[in-house]
This record gives sequence, structure tokens and C-alpha cells, in this order.
Amino acid sequence: MDYQDLKHTLSYLHAEVNRMETMAGTLSAIERDHYNKLTNFEQRELVDIAVEEQSAARQLGTMKQMCLAMAQKIEELKNAVDRGQLGENTEHAETH
Amino acid sequence: MLRLIENWIRSSINETMDKALTRIVKDQYIENLSEMIPTSNKVGPINLMEIAMRASQGLPVARPLGSPLHFSPWDKILFNPVHLYRFPTPENVGINTSVTIGHRARKPLTLSIPVMVAAMSFGGALSKRAKIALAKAESIVGTATNSGEAGLLEEEREAAQLFIGQYNRGGWMNTPEKYKRLDAIEIQLGQGAQGSTPQRTAVKNIGEDFRDVFDLKEGEAAQIHSRLPGVNTQDDFIQLVRRLRDETGVPIGLKIAATHHLEKELQIAVEAEVDFVTLDGAEGGTHGGAPTLQDDVGLPTLFAITRAAEFFARKGVMRDINLLATGGLVTPGQMLKAIALGADGVYIGTAAVMALVSDQMVEALPFEPPTSLVVYTGKMTDQLDVDRAAFNLVRYLNACVHEMELVAVTLGKTALTDLSKSDLCTLDPFISKATGIQLGYVSPENQQQFFEETRPLFDNMAEEYKETQNEGMPLH
Repeated sequence: MDYQDLKHTLSYLHAEVNRMETMAGTLSAIERDHYNKLTNFEQRELVDIAVEEQSAARQLGTMKQMCLAMAQKIEELKNAVDRGQLGENTEHAETH
Repeated sequence: MLRLIENWIRSSINETMDKALTRIVKDQYIENLSEMIPTSNKVGPINLMEIAMRASQGLPVARPLGSPLHFSPWDKILFNPVHLYRFPTPENVGINTSVTIGHRARKPLTLSIPVMVAAMSFGGALSKRAKIALAKAESIVGTATNSGEAGLLEEEREAAQLFIGQYNRGGWMNTPEKYKRLDAIEIQLGQGAQGSTPQRTAVKNIGEDFRDVFDLKEGEAAQIHSRLPGVNTQDDFIQLVRRLRDETGVPIGLKIAATHHLEKELQIAVEAEVDFVTLDGAEGGTHGGAPTLQDDVGLPTLFAITRAAEFFARKGVMRDINLLATGGLVTPGQMLKAIALGADGVYIGTAAVMALVSDQMVEALPFEPPTSLVVYTGKMTDQLDVDRAAFNLVRYLNACVHEMELVAVTLGKTALTDLSKSDLCTLDPFISKATGIQLGYVSPENQQQFFEETRPLFDNMAEEYKETQNEGMPLH
């Protein structure tokens, strides 16, 4: 893969990870809303579903944070490619 | 007929009580059953029971679940809600509950909630069914469970989405084929309830499944040494951390019992560049340790967290080394206060086990304790309904984290990790001085003035301290 391809791939990954972050955030909000609605009913089964929805909301929130961290890493990689530092870093890593 | 029986019962009780009270009033203490009241008051009911157990067994008493003493004064610390100075968080904004452990690691560990199940080993502590239930629950809520000092239990590994394993003093997780299957490695050098003392599981308490997981020969006891095999110098420890990090890429941590020598221990951890440190306070639980180790050894969790967080800040490694707190954390308030004081995450042990058996303890009571459903040597481990137990813990964790989120809302925060000491106040001037939490009695502007005006009180204490040091006397 040449540098141009690598840059395009990183740009694609960055855009998709950002999209996943937005999707996770939206789904998390929906799940949280479901939790609030389901806890209005005093039925054991519905409350248990609500608890699972709340867990899902938190895990989607976590996915959002993971996407943010990954997007930042990809951005760093893109910058390194732009500066032509990637080859040097790889060589450095191999010495350890 | 019923009325007749009722009258007969009433009159029998009345007569019995009359006789008992008359004897209590008239008899000398020496022949009086009520002698137990002052004796028990003097010695304490727990101590009285344990005196009898020691007298009967002649061995250290194996007390389960840790010390009954409360060393960490969590109840003297309160959160500071906001109204206008800073606005509370709108209710439609989700509170971020996630936390990442090991930012520097090649494969950091990201949890959905900052609460994990503490190190309770299969065999040494819990049954296989209990371990699987804990792992299932943690997977549902998106957090990690911990192996404890054990080998790799396949069923637990399969049930756990995120699995922290202990590189342990027994050596049972310490081979590459086992530790390479972990999501984080916690090098276990001690625990709050037992310090760094050796422990041994007798052959009579070791079943076939235990032998398989621990790679023990038939008739061989399971021995936990006071030192980690192969680690006899500080450099050995540093080399071990580097080797594990290079081989696995997962976060590598150190778990120790909280101690007054804390900063000296942490200095080695900083030099070894560990990814996280787990501090187990003196209130830490155990499957069955000696009461003296539980009650009289270690440093309380609250002070261990504040001292460690301050040390990491001084060394400039707060972002590099995560602090995990454990030991006696039972309520969501205590867990969140630990986070506000500097912990990135907390482990819960006793509370998780109690949540697990909550609605199933009726199967054991009143003739057996609830723990007989979950401890490896328990008589009723086969009766634990794994899925029901797991969902009990899911509900408990959801309730706890939801309560934490409510506190975050009233503090005007959007992430649990954003909480800090400034969100707390204390009602105790000594805690204020020791931890850096502001004193709730006086306004933030008057804190300095308050302590300056009351300085003679502290000076007198400092003088007394100096005198005792000069005389070579212990400080009381």
C-alpha cells in the first residue's frame, strides 16, 4: 500500500469511526429514554427489561467514548503519514 | 378453642417471664444468666464468640468477609450539590459512566461502569457456579470480573467479556498460556484482609475441579506464599512488569494491601511503569482469614486513596497510572466518594456476593448461612440458580450506578470521572487536614482563617508528638 492509499484508508476509517460515535450516542439516548418509559410500569418483567436497556445505554455511551479515542489515534496516524514519520516510528518500534 | 389456646400461651409466657425476671433480680451475678450482658458488653459479642472458637479449635479463626470494623469514615464526607453557582446537569443529558484503564497499554481496558467484581478466587473462596454468575453479570453491564488468586477457570473466562486475572503468589496463573488470555493482569502481592501473609488451602477442601484449575497433584495442598515466586528484589518486580507488558500488551497492574508505607511501595510501582495500582484497604474482605490480620493490619481505604492520588499527582503520573480502590465499599455513596477522592474505579466483593444471593438466601436460612450457597466449601452450592443470581447482581449494579448518576446530576457533572475533591466537604477538621477536603463548618473563603485560628490546638498536638518522639515513646 503506498502513502496515498494509506492516507485515503485512514481518512475513510476516521469518517466511519466518527459516524459510529454519533450512532452510538443517538442509540444510547434512545435506550435511556426506553429505560425511563419502562420504569413507569410496576411490572417486574418490564423493570428487568428496563435495567437491561439502561445497561445497553451505558455500553453504547462507552462505545461512543471508544470511538472518540480511536478517531483521535487515527488522526495522529494521519498526521504522522503527512509528516512522513510513519516509517521512522516503525523502525524505532522494531528495535525494542 | 383458639381463644383457650391463646390464653394458655399468654399465661405460660407470663409465668416463665415472671420466674426469669425474679431470678435475674434475686440471684447473685455468679449464678445469674444475665452475667452475659456485662461480659458481652465488655468483650464484645464478636470477640466473645471468637474467644470460644479459638479455645475450641486452637487455630486462627477463619472469619469470612473481612473485618466488621469500620475504619474509613465515609459518613463524615458529603457531596456538594449546585443550583446557580454552577447549574445541575439537565436530566436529558446522559452521564458518562465509562472508564479506561491503562491508557499507555497497547490494548487499554475500557469499562462501561467504574465498578468491578473484586478478586475472589475459584476454589480458595467461591464455587464454580458463583464465579460464573459473577462473570455473567459483569458481562451484561459491560465491566470486568477478577480471577482472584487462582488458575484459569475456563467457564469463568468464557462467561466474562472482560477478565482481569491475578498473576499470583500461588503461581497458578503465571504461565504464558494462561496470562495471555487475560484482558488485564493484576500482579497480586497482598490484600487488605491478610496483608502479605501466606495462605494455605488444606487437601480436605480441594476437589477434583479445584485440582484441575490449579494444576495440583492429588494430595497436594494449595499454597499461597508471602512472596511472589521469582520476585525477591525491587528490580525483579520491575523486570516482571516489563516482561508481561511486552508479552501481552494488556494493562499490567499491582495489587497490594494498603499500608502506612504506601508511598515507598508506590515509588517502585511508578518506576516499573505499571498501568494501574489496586489498593485494598484494611476493610477488605476475604473468604476466611484470621481476625487479627483483618482487624489490626493495614491502612483504611479512604486514606489509602487520598494518599495514593496525592502521590501520583506529585509524581506527575495521574494520567498514566490508574488507581483502583477496594476494601469495605458497600454503598454507591462510598464508591462515588472513592472516585471523587482520586480512584478511577472500584472493586466490590462482599456487596457483590450479598447481591448475588439476595433472594436465594431464604434457601439457606435459618439453618445455614447465606454464604453456604456460594463459597467453595459451602454445603448448598449446587442449589445456586446461576442466571437468577447473575441478574440480581445486574439489578444491584444498575441501581448503584444510577444513584451515582443522580449525584453527578446534582453536582453539575456529565461524567463520573469528572468528580473531584472540590465536590466534597467534610464535617471533621482532622479529615479535612489529612485529605485536603474542605471543612463543611466554614465557607471556602474562611477555611484558611479557621485553621489559622485553631492552629494552637494543632501546635499543642505537634509539641506532644515531638515530646513522645524525643522520649522514644510510642505515639498514642
